Amino acid sequence: MMVSFFDQFASPSYLGIPLIAIAIALPWVLYPTSSSRWINNRLITIQGWFINRFTNQLMLPLNVGGHKWALLLASLMIFLITINMLGLLPYTFTPTTQLSLNMGFAVPLWLATVIIGMRNQPTVALGHLLPEGTPIPLIPVLIIIETISLFIRPLALGVRLTANLTAGHLLIQLIATAVFVLMPMMPTVAILTATVLFLLTLLEVAVAMIQAYVFVLLLSLYLQENV
Amino acid sequence: MPQLNPGPWFAILVFSWLVFLTIIPTKILSHISPNEPTPVSAEKHKTESWDWPW
Repeated sequence: MMVSFFDQFASPSYLGIPLIAIAIALPWVLYPTSSSRWINNRLITIQGWFINRFTNQLMLPLNVGGHKWALLLASLMIFLITINMLGLLPYTFTPTTQLSLNMGFAVPLWLATVIIGMRNQPTVALGHLLPEGTPIPLIPVLIIIETISLFIRPLALGVRLTANLTAGHLLIQLIATAVFVLMPMMPTVAILTATVLFLLTLLEVAVAMIQAYVFVLLLSLYLQENV
Repeated sequence: MPQLNPGPWFAILVFSWLVFLTIIPTKILSHISPNEPTPVSAEKHKTESWDWPW
């Protein structure tokens, strides 16, 4: 019996192996390395299509200087979306619900964009601390606010992913428990609840994809300010 | 709430970045450029010997 609904997020360990390591290391067998031969299958075709279209869309608003990040951002998207989606399967562990993992990706990548900006074009990068057309009395306050918002970005990036996935998993578990409890007492209500559960699962599939995209998109926006 | 536990954050950081930087980019690259790029100056494009893959 579950002690608490939050126990599903505790990082489990089996035979001395932390399952978070397995959940991070193994999903990549789903991405077959495509060969240089002119032979393909449906999986490779749809993955290649997705990666190329996604990279194209993501790099469109960026300066040419930011295009070096294409491989990194595409890899990040594949990494996050795969872990998010596989985590929705029953009895799996989702590493992206762990705050430490998300912060481990958010902080270094955000810091990289800031350092690039400060090193290559410090005037433009610092210019983002004050929006154009600010009334003079507001200038000191606004610079403080913008500086805070700059430094809170990695925190928001990591917490956003954690909170969204955690909330989704919790809701699914709560409603699934409700279905089991209601089944012997009120079958009709239980069936209705199961319908809600099904719709919620669809929503969570969407959230898993959207949150991976939002993470990468925000990083590309931070990069856009700094290249 | 165990998901907020910083836990073995350094081990998680190192291992996840190891996977992220070693395994995934090779797979992505093979999709983006399935053939090794040849320089424009190359006289003759090298072709690999081909046989039926099975």
